[in-house]
Amino acid sequence: MTEEILSLITKYPKELRYALAAMQDMQRQFKHVPREGIELLAQHIGCKTAQLYSMATFYKALSLDAKGKHIIKLCDGTACHIRGANQLIDGIERLLGIAPGETSQDGLFSLELVNCLGSCAIAPVMVVDETYYSKVTLEKLPEIIDAYREVTP
Amino acid sequence: MNIVIDGKSCTCEPGEFLLEVARRNGIYIPTLCNHEGLLGQGCCRVCIVEVVERGWSKTVVSCIYPVLNECEVHTNNEKIKQQRGIILRLLQKRAPQSEIIAALCKAYSAPALDKLNEKDGKCIICGLCVRACSTLGAGAIATVNRGITKEIAPPFNEPPADCIGCGSCARVCPTKAIEYHENETTRTVWEKTFTLVHCASCGAQMGTQEELNFAAEKAGTEPSTLCDACRKKQLALVMADVYSAT
Ligand code: SF4
Ligand code: FES
Repeated sequence: MTEEILSLITKYPKELRYALAAMQDMQRQFKHVPREGIELLAQHIGCKTAQLYSMATFYKALSLDAKGKHIIKLCDGTACHIRGANQLIDGIERLLGIAPGETSQDGLFSLELVNCLGSCAIAPVMVVDETYYSKVTLEKLPEIIDAYREVTP
Repeated sequence: MNIVIDGKSCTCEPGEFLLEVARRNGIYIPTLCNHEGLLGQGCCRVCIVEVVERGWSKTVVSCIYPVLNECEVHTNNEKIKQQRGIILRLLQKRAPQSEIIAALCKAYSAPALDKLNEKDGKCIICGLCVRACSTLGAGAIATVNRGITKEIAPPFNEPPADCIGCGSCARVCPTKAIEYHENETTRTVWEKTFTLVHCASCGAQMGTQEELNFAAEKAGTEPSTLCDACRKKQLALVMADVYSAT
């Protein structure tokens, strides 16, 4: 992994203001920001690990633990909440054994709760990777999720 | 220029922070996050006062409020006491174990605010420790997470590799939230234990070896084995030798 990380971060000038971009690249490639990545980036920039750790824990888009291959974002904003997002959380837990913030054992799925996706008219909304699913029901859930299992080689 | 604080006329330079003007004139304003070496933190809000300027009144944060116009200041009237009381109680909800906050709450008869949840510990996340650490150059700790989960911590929540054991963080902390222990031979902070170095000549404690190395590296010299006083003495002796030889 060291090689891969280095090739990602050495693309950037040795300045603190590029740290976020470099960490986003790591997040994209490894589905998380590995500890080694933070340490190597600090060396590259010549800043303190603490500074980057602070940044990495501040942004929701970055995570220190490995995320699943597919990210399920379930909206639990007001409209979705009222239209049963809670039941969907339970439904996903039954299907995949993960609570919000967790990643399934097989490393395929992570579940995240979001507060509003701006699509209240089609509540409850669920987004898997980049695809939006509208008016999701407990009945529709298995079908949606199984589709992602299949595309995984 | 002149301003009036609690009925007392005080002279000050335009742009001076109100808190400093008050202090210089012997007027007490309680503070937590104000530290003379690290001015401008301005986040605990305990130091609020009322400023009346041309008939307009406003509540300001005195440690970061630059005095620009003539005004009348009230540091402890009923309104301020009440507002300060609320602020103090909110801080106490965040740091219930802090003795100084408990004492201030008592002194300002802070209201109960029973409905609010309490956190744990002594830290009010003022960030002074982080600033002290990075100003010194070690930069071993930082604020971690955000919102209600924000805290002060070393990277990866383990004893910080960059820490040199100088103890500045613990020293600047207004609520004594950082655990710090020291005996004759060792010092422990952030769960990391350091060996203390003593002057080769007089035996005075000189800090941790890491601290000495750090200072030496910054100055581009070798770490000293003598304390400041003994080093000066030695230097004086060398000088005397040089003079008597010539
Ligand atoms: S540990 Fe002390 S100095 Fe550091 S943020 Fe908390 S209260 Fe402030
Ligand atoms: S002392 Fe002024 S805000 Fe803390």
